[in-house]
Amino acid sequence: MKQFQYTISDPIGVHARPAGLLAKAAKALDSTVTITKADGSKSAAATKLMAIMGMGIKTGETVTVTVEGGNEEANCAAMEQFFKENL
Amino acid sequence: MDYRKTAQEIYDKVGKKENLISAAHCATRLRLVLADNAKCDTKAVEDIDGVKGVFSASGQLQIILGTGTVNKVYDEFIAISGLTAASKEEVKAAAAAKQNIFKRAIKCLGDIFVPIIPAIVASGFLMGIMEALTFMVNNEFLNIDTSGSIYVFANLFANTAYTFLPILIAYSAGKAFGGNPYLGAVIGMIMIHPHLQNAWTVATEGVLQTQRVWFGLYEVNLVGYQGSVIPVIIAVWVMCFIEKRLHKIVPAMFDLFVTPLVSVFVTGYLTLSIIGPIFSTIEHSIIGGIQTLIALPFGVGSLIMGGLYSTTVVAGIHHMYTVIDVGQLSSYGVTYWLPLASAANMAQGAACLAVAMKTKTQKTKSVALPSAFSCFMGITEPAIFGVNLRHFKPFVCGAIGGAAGAMYASLVSLGASGTGVTGLFGLLLCLHDPINYIIMAAISIGVAFALTWVFGYKDAAPAEGSKTVQPQPAVPAIQCQPGAVYAPVAGTVIPSEQIPDETFAAGVLGQGVGIQPENGIVVAPFDGEISSVTDTRHAVGISSPDGIELLIHVGVDTVAMDGDGFECFVQEGQQVKAGDRLIAFDRAKIAAANHPDVVVVLVTNSDDYENLTIQTGGCKVLDKVIQV
Repeated sequence: MKQFQYTISDPIGVHARPAGLLAKAAKALDSTVTITKADGSKSAAATKLMAIMGMGIKTGETVTVTVEGGNEEANCAAMEQFFKENL
Repeated sequence: MDYRKTAQEIYDKVGKKENLISAAHCATRLRLVLADNAKCDTKAVEDIDGVKGVFSASGQLQIILGTGTVNKVYDEFIAISGLTAASKEEVKAAAAAKQNIFKRAIKCLGDIFVPIIPAIVASGFLMGIMEALTFMVNNEFLNIDTSGSIYVFANLFANTAYTFLPILIAYSAGKAFGGNPYLGAVIGMIMIHPHLQNAWTVATEGVLQTQRVWFGLYEVNLVGYQGSVIPVIIAVWVMCFIEKRLHKIVPAMFDLFVTPLVSVFVTGYLTLSIIGPIFSTIEHSIIGGIQTLIALPFGVGSLIMGGLYSTTVVAGIHHMYTVIDVGQLSSYGVTYWLPLASAANMAQGAACLAVAMKTKTQKTKSVALPSAFSCFMGITEPAIFGVNLRHFKPFVCGAIGGAAGAMYASLVSLGASGTGVTGLFGLLLCLHDPINYIIMAAISIGVAFALTWVFGYKDAAPAEGSKTVQPQPAVPAIQCQPGAVYAPVAGTVIPSEQIPDETFAAGVLGQGVGIQPENGIVVAPFDGEISSVTDTRHAVGISSPDGIELLIHVGVDTVAMDGDGFECFVQEGQQVKAGDRLIAFDRAKIAAANHPDVVVVLVTNSDDYENLTIQTGGCKVLDKVIQV
């Protein structure tokens, strides 16, 4: 299992469009990717668009991204890259 | 690509001049307002070379041409059609309603002043407090150290926004008139340049320097326009006019340096040599007229001026009243003008307060309440421009209240021993006759509040939430079939590829449809469970018992509206039946924010299904639109 933390810088937070991109990116990986809010209150699989949107992650919030199974090393790096570019 | 040809073809296909009302463009789209959209051959427009897409939204036909192309095609289009160029705002205005000139002028003043209100409120409040404190210290009611840093700095902050008011106004006016706001600001800066004599000192020192202009034709005073409003707005208007013309005639490669240079130079020269002197003379003669009026017997003059005072605030000439106050103070030892102004200001505050108490709209209340209080402190702009003038009747009621209070002040010869503070703190200037000041305040406030309460304000119908006003569409109970998604809103169904947004169109969020809505109510598209609700209330996720995960997203980029204009009736985890209301949205607000209001309905897990069929064209609410 690999993890990283990321603070959302997209001014409107994780809304439909970035959530959709994230779900698509996560689906392409052979690992299970989970997103958890900093306070641990909410958590969702990155492939579940609805669940991610439902988390209501705002700009400035920090989330923990967990990558499990499959090629964790590469997939975690890919996810980190995705967050930096899109969120 | 041949811009002229593209423009010509668009012109032909949208029904030529007879059918065109106005044209504008944004970064990517040509936005046309047509008399009759039916006369436009939309299909043919789509086929024109260079046209990337066409859709109609918020009363406009929007033709997507792309960055860099749209402005060229637009220029040709204007040349061919002979339309005068309209700003995006003008097109919106034309699309909205045809208002009369008076209303538009007021709206324009509002557009200029509303954005700068926070700056003048901050400054004005401090100014009121500081002047009251100074007065108390000078008269030994209060013993504080006026040489301390807080006091000295606060004094500095207090008059900053007013000292440089022409710059703020010029920036805002540049924006409102569709020019470059930074160039507008430069014009404002020119008008109060430190090398010009300060307008406040002219009264005491006289004009120190003059300058021959127009090759020695005549002389103008080298005096700044601190505290002026009319000359600034006119100057910036002229600048925007010049700038916009230049953008059209100057070739693109020179545009960047020729246009700003010429706009600023020409406007600057015109301003200091013609516009400034003429319009500040007009400002001054208005003041001269007032001095004659106020001297009329039996309080008649004060009655009139108390009534008209706020109108002069609207015209922006009240900044010069200090001159009247100072003149009166030197002749009589008191000023009879200040109580009159105070009565008018408090009356506007009371009218604004009545609006705040009466409205049920959160937005109006959140503007009106602080505006009313700042008005009682003597800072009237937020109340007058932000609230009273917008609804107009409260402004008139406030004027009547002001007239009543001013007449009383004149009958009892109430004079103030200083100037600069009106409203509740104005009492401190009338400490020799506080009872009459309080009675005057009570009269103005009472009359204005009562009139506004009874006649002056009613919440505008559509603003009051679609809940009560918009008739709920008749939703028949339906029997849901497995795998079916029913239309959550009545309108015209388009394939998701035609949704005017790349992400939706590309299917990143799943396959589905867009619906150009006919009304502002979104209902549940099947029996199911609400899986997510966004904080901004513009989108909900819903899942069906047989596994469809559906996203209903109202409008494109509407996330930027941050919930304003949207109401959501459901919560995450809630069970709903097909036809239950999910979201109400204000189409006018979406249009005003410049977003398409297409309701996006996407099956986010469409990858799980082999076949997804859609039903396009007109639909009633709960017609089947998607089947998986």
